[in-house]
Amino acid sequence: MTAIQVEGLVKDFETRVKQPGLKGSLRALVQPEKRIVHAVRSISFEMAPGELVGFIGPNGAGKSTTIKILTGILHPTRGAANVLGFVPWQDRRKLAYRIGTVFGQRPQLWYHLPAIDTFHLFGKIYERDDVEVKKRIAFLAEAFEIGHLLETPVRKLSLGQRIRCEVAASLIHQPNLLLLDEPSIGLDVVAKQRIRDTIRQMNQVEGVGVLLTSHDAGDIEALCKRVIVINHGTIIYQDRVSALKRNYLTTKQVDVRYAEEVPPDFALAGVETLKVGRYGAKLRFDVRATPVERVIADLAGRGSLLDVTISDPSLEEVIRTIYQADGVAVAAA
Amino acid sequence: MIREMRFLLALWKANLLSAMEYRVSFILQVLGMMLNNAAYFVFWFIFFERFESVRGWGLVDMFVLFGIVAASFGLGVFLFGNIRFLADMIAEGRMDYYLSLPRPVLLHSLASRSTISGLGDFIYGLISFALAGQYSPDAVLRFALGVVVGTTVLVAFLTIAQSLAFWIGSASMIAMQASNAIVTFSLYPLTLFDGTAKLILFTILPAAFIGSVPAEFVRAFSWEQLAQMSLAAVGLLALAIWVFQRGLRRYESGSAIQVQV
Amino acid sequence: MKKIAIYIAIFRTQLINSMAYPADLFSRSFMMLIFMWVFFQLWQATYLSTGQNVIAGLTLADTLWYLMVAETVLLSKPRLGQEIATQVKDGSVAYLLNKPYNFLLYQLSVSLGESLMRMAVNLVFGGALVWLLVGPPPHPAALPLTLLAILLAWTLDFCIVALIGLLAFVLEDVSAFEWIYSKLVLVLGGVLIPLDFFPEWLRSFALSLPFAYTTYAPARMFIDPSIGNVLPLLGGQLAWLALFALILSFVFARGMRRLAINGG
Repeated sequence: MTAIQVEGLVKDFETRVKQPGLKGSLRALVQPEKRIVHAVRSISFEMAPGELVGFIGPNGAGKSTTIKILTGILHPTRGAANVLGFVPWQDRRKLAYRIGTVFGQRPQLWYHLPAIDTFHLFGKIYERDDVEVKKRIAFLAEAFEIGHLLETPVRKLSLGQRIRCEVAASLIHQPNLLLLDEPSIGLDVVAKQRIRDTIRQMNQVEGVGVLLTSHDAGDIEALCKRVIVINHGTIIYQDRVSALKRNYLTTKQVDVRYAEEVPPDFALAGVETLKVGRYGAKLRFDVRATPVERVIADLAGRGSLLDVTISDPSLEEVIRTIYQADGVAVAAA
Repeated sequence: MIREMRFLLALWKANLLSAMEYRVSFILQVLGMMLNNAAYFVFWFIFFERFESVRGWGLVDMFVLFGIVAASFGLGVFLFGNIRFLADMIAEGRMDYYLSLPRPVLLHSLASRSTISGLGDFIYGLISFALAGQYSPDAVLRFALGVVVGTTVLVAFLTIAQSLAFWIGSASMIAMQASNAIVTFSLYPLTLFDGTAKLILFTILPAAFIGSVPAEFVRAFSWEQLAQMSLAAVGLLALAIWVFQRGLRRYESGSAIQVQV
Repeated sequence: MKKIAIYIAIFRTQLINSMAYPADLFSRSFMMLIFMWVFFQLWQATYLSTGQNVIAGLTLADTLWYLMVAETVLLSKPRLGQEIATQVKDGSVAYLLNKPYNFLLYQLSVSLGESLMRMAVNLVFGGALVWLLVGPPPHPAALPLTLLAILLAWTLDFCIVALIGLLAFVLEDVSAFEWIYSKLVLVLGGVLIPLDFFPEWLRSFALSLPFAYTTYAPARMFIDPSIGNVLPLLGGQLAWLALFALILSFVFARGMRRLAINGG
């Protein structure tokens, strides 16, 4: 039994290319030049019911496109998918009763109305009994600590408060699966933490499965058991978050600063040089091959040290490493 | 059907609640639009003061015509307010929301917004019809039917125009001009036009069914016009739904915005 | 003379700016074509049904060319009152106190720059269609005079709208007044139907008010540039313009003094 099963999913977009200027516009009008953009190229994965899975990748990697195919918003170019027993783009409406969605950049709450009005409207949209909806709202209000916000017009809520209400709204109809696309985008650290807490709580209390996309590794690290790393429309890594960390946390990162200038070919035995600046360098080494002790001794031998920081890489760094191993230059993860 | 009706009622209630957040603006918009229409109608008062009738149409007929058009337009944009923004919603990927909920996408998206001034148009339409002085029950019934047909044809036509966005990207300008054109033409007696112009007003730009045909139908019952109107309303509605559904398959969501060449 | 150069520069910038979106420019003219086509059908039927070639002194061609100019004047002008009101409300008008130009003349230059290109496009498209339908204008040589009258009409319109915008010094929301003004122009300005077709009492009433001089005057001069027709219309335009310009500069000076004393 799986909640989501995806096999060889492909989505191509056709875009029109326009040369600059009026001449280009006219030419595009008469003889449009088209270009195919491969947003998703053959993605396959599975997800068990009640699982918490994170989809991570840079902007334009194909995360959102995949989620949108899985909700039935987009028709795929090729491939098969099964979500809770439905083919999303064929049984969109049947599937919609069973899943909840939050698109961080596309609010679903009515802007001028208090959230509770949208909640009741959603009750009608999902054809729920009024009494049942009231109970459900009371339950969610407590779980999400939003009871005091429900009567306020949404336009007067802060972004963090609004997103909590958005997630609550997506749970009105007790879905089996929650699909979240960038739920934490634009939030500050505290608000992010609260959203993560509530999502985790709903997963534990109701056993709702969560598939989450984010370009913030922190979301995945705090929430997910399993991570799927995607770039340029293909899965480049998928494993348990703990395994990911175990495999990559064997490395340490060193930031070093000296009182005098360092040579541009600065390097130590058994240590990888990531970056060399004028007065310092950024290094990485594997503790299994090179002891910390030796690295510090070597660093001290190179000049008068001003500062040394040795740290574990963040998940963000880990993922960057994966991208690099994938042979892809990434500006920002 | 009943399920969708119940859902529509909830949606319209939410629209109304939204509008009521700004009570004064609500009343001003409704009254303003009524006065606005009245100001335009002064033209016909002056016109018929001097000419009495043009091609078989007099002041009373014009009251009925304005009644049908204003009530149809008003009802259309009040109940299906997104009919004016559909092209932008498609181009900007704002259909995601409707696609992720278990309701018919076209119906849901159109009814999710209410143009308040439309209520002013609608009330003005009723007043205009009342001024025509045709109070027999069957005339009132024919007027009501005419408004339903006018609203359906208008909403269906605009849906098709706005759905062009699925194929050509930004269609809001074309849709706006199509809207202006169909309303302008529907406000004049059909007998003014001949040959090709008339053919266009029955087909590509079906203004005849929003104005003159229902207005003549109110004046006197005729099976032929009833058949024409029913056929136009059902046919155009089916066509609009078909075009929209075809378009949805090409829908690119917001991802297309990120794909910059 | 240096001062005038400033306003010409502002006017030019706005003129170029208005050409940045040709699609917008041409799509506005599309409505012009629709209107003229419908008007032609209506008036052709009307002239035919009365069996007369001349109604109230106008032929079918006169009527169509009149409506073409009237629509052009109306459809080409910008919505300025709200903008002035906003600038008064948010206090940005105060920052103009120490600018080396006059706020009102600045707005007028902007407004004319915005309208001119639209007018040209509307005149060309609308004119071409009307020419096709009813033949050449009765007095092509009246065009320069008409353009001058349009300029006066817009300046008069500007004075009235700016005056309404300045009401924002004392009122919360001026949009209602602007709206009422636009409806008065529609009804009494002869936009949809020449004033000549009005009942006599209404016509003389309309001619004694300023609204007719913002649309009717230039359109009427275009189809009949005779001295007897032009002089009263031109005189009316100048008289109303002088009066409103005077009131406007007085109100503006008062408003600015209040601003200088009380702050923005």
